[in-house]
Amino acid sequence: MGNCFSDVEGGKQAVGGTQQRPNSIAASNNNNGGHNDAVEFFFRSRGIQPLFTQIELSLSASNLLDRDITSKSDPMAVVYAKKRDGKLEELGRTEVVLNSLNPAWIEKVTVAFQFEIVQPLVFHVYDVDSKYHNVPVKMLKLNDQEFLGEATCVLSEIVTKQTRSLTLNLNNKNGHTSLRNLGTLTIHAEETVSSRICVEMVVHCSHLDNKDLFSKSDPFLRISRIVESGGSVPICKTEVVKDNLNPIWKPLCLSIQQFGSKDNPLIIECFDFNSSGNHVLIGKLQKSVADLEKLHIERSGANLTFPSPHHGHVKILKGQLFVDQFCEKQQYSFLDYISSGFELNFMVAIDFTASNGNPRNPDSLHYIDPFGQLNSYQRAIMEVGEVIQFYDSDRRFPAWGFGGRTIDGTTSHCFNLNGSTGAFEVEGVEGIMAAYARALHNVALAGPTLFGPVINRAAQIAGQSISYNRTKYFVLLIITDGVITDLQETKDALVRASDLPLSILIVGVGGADFREMEVLDADNGRRLESSTGRVATRDIVQFVPMRELHSGQISVVQALLEELPGQFLTYMRSRDIKPGPLHAASTSA
Amino acid sequence: MASTFLRTLEITVISGEDLRNDRRPIKKNAFAVVRTDSYNSRRTDMDTDGGSYPKWNQKLVVDMSMHAQFITLEVQCKTSLGDKTVGTARIPVSDFVGGYVPESYLHFLSYRLRDHKGERNGIVNISVRVKVPEYASCSRTELGIPLGMGVALGQRNFGGGIVTGVPVLCNYPGKY
Repeated sequence: MGNCFSDVEGGKQAVGGTQQRPNSIAASNNNNGGHNDAVEFFFRSRGIQPLFTQIELSLSASNLLDRDITSKSDPMAVVYAKKRDGKLEELGRTEVVLNSLNPAWIEKVTVAFQFEIVQPLVFHVYDVDSKYHNVPVKMLKLNDQEFLGEATCVLSEIVTKQTRSLTLNLNNKNGHTSLRNLGTLTIHAEETVSSRICVEMVVHCSHLDNKDLFSKSDPFLRISRIVESGGSVPICKTEVVKDNLNPIWKPLCLSIQQFGSKDNPLIIECFDFNSSGNHVLIGKLQKSVADLEKLHIERSGANLTFPSPHHGHVKILKGQLFVDQFCEKQQYSFLDYISSGFELNFMVAIDFTASNGNPRNPDSLHYIDPFGQLNSYQRAIMEVGEVIQFYDSDRRFPAWGFGGRTIDGTTSHCFNLNGSTGAFEVEGVEGIMAAYARALHNVALAGPTLFGPVINRAAQIAGQSISYNRTKYFVLLIITDGVITDLQETKDALVRASDLPLSILIVGVGGADFREMEVLDADNGRRLESSTGRVATRDIVQFVPMRELHSGQISVVQALLEELPGQFLTYMRSRDIKPGPLHAASTSA
Repeated sequence: MASTFLRTLEITVISGEDLRNDRRPIKKNAFAVVRTDSYNSRRTDMDTDGGSYPKWNQKLVVDMSMHAQFITLEVQCKTSLGDKTVGTARIPVSDFVGGYVPESYLHFLSYRLRDHKGERNGIVNISVRVKVPEYASCSRTELGIPLGMGVALGQRNFGGGIVTGVPVLCNYPGKY
């Protein structure tokens, strides 16, 4: 999953930036809608949070309790994020509105939206005593205030609504419903408006210095953002152009989340690629996005510089950078699509091969613990299902098993988990869990491990749905304990499905050696090839072996989910499918 | 009047990757030829500076017989000795016709190119859309008449004349 660039081909791929259309003008297999393993790892390892979508929450309330005797309550709201251990972390507070039981607070609270985790939010409303009215809101001690009510929800509940607003009843602390009516709280979520701007440019360099002995330099560019601490953080790198001192690179697309603002200085470094990993600096320059736009308009070049051995001096090189194309555009974000009615439809396929072990045996991967501890299959279903369920309007999920012998005696590689012959859907994540537990009683584990039939079935559903509407994107989760026996058929099925609105997440459970499976997840840049000579249109597969959960860490399964918004956006953008107008009519709420 | 025995394809030849001539990356002047049968072929312009990763982004409209099973795409390179075929891909028609998606779906496809020795030589990226004849692509509710009946439609101009009742294969979504 983490691109270490120890393989040369992978190392030469462009990284970071924002994905545009695959197989068209800006084609690169490793760009992922702004999320990229190497760049994210770089951020996290330096303690800097990666850039994700910022959401502003606006709050209002109605029918609040009247706590004051001579006038009405003076309410203020506080927003918390609930951590995995149950502790509350304050995200922000509104201002105090005087004398109102139906306040509409102006002060917004910002929260970072992360697709891959469930983000529970807790809201507390307080009546601020008049003696504190001149104290800055930040300094107010909440214990000294009158508590008016609490509400909880999950962030994705709000952003997936068409109106992006959610109204909740206020309760007592800890969720106990009050005997009295405590009123309601309405939360409205907005992406910060500027988060949609992105800049697409084509740059080339001329007269670069030759750093290679027997041939010419193999240049690539790395663009970094300067951070407050003085250091720089890379946001993108181009592909490597071999053997060329006047290289033109494929178009770069940078989103405003990456460069901050058009006036933020960016460092552009030009390196000579070496397969050893020791890339040699050819030259660099410092320009903001606005400067680059100026270079484009004036059709002039900017000279690269090289740090000189003399302290403080730089050597101005003959090499120059030109901006051939510069275009500012609005890119619709993932949430733009979601709130206009687009959906992620979840499908799951579970491995019923004999290698899992007899389910009655506590060592079996399919053992259902009577005390409630979830097995690996159940954990994977929960972790993925819990996040995606908010994006699926009817919560009806196709669920299959493969590699098992059903009641009629035949081994099937795609049987309905709920045991029925016709209906393949179950209701909710609970429905998947229940069907799974029941199937363990009715289905005998058999084999071999074949993915082809399940992938073809999912592709059929995805393909057929296109005739009805273009707003559904499908996510198939395959949970398996073993290495597949039909690698070529699986590749064929994946290549055939690669042009459909479908992403496939494969989770490997148990201790098998999954290295062969990693070839399906084309992170190294090598596109999958079918037996008929067709090459995959895009990389739709993520594979990860599941490990034991350690408390506090992000689970690897959730790291899989991070890639989904990018894959969804790639598909939509490549076909110019735009989000509908806000509040577009939709039959499902 | 569109013939019943031909389909019209809109093929956009987008780009090529890692094209080589005798193992060495080609320098320039690559172009692509799409051939549906011995009578129907179209070619793109040359990419004069694209090297071994040429970008054409050129739409070719070509007819294809209903019975065709393959179309071929050749990437050639103009050299001082003439046009040299760099690689060929044989594209099964079933990759963009039939299947579960609607007939007018825009398919983004990529193929492995093989040279005259049968060895791999790069990848070509294309998009294909089967052009559905106008009168077949309108929904029933728009036209208000059932398909397959030879009736002149007052407002629409199909090049003059009455449509004679020639059956046309077309794909309707399952529900309206």
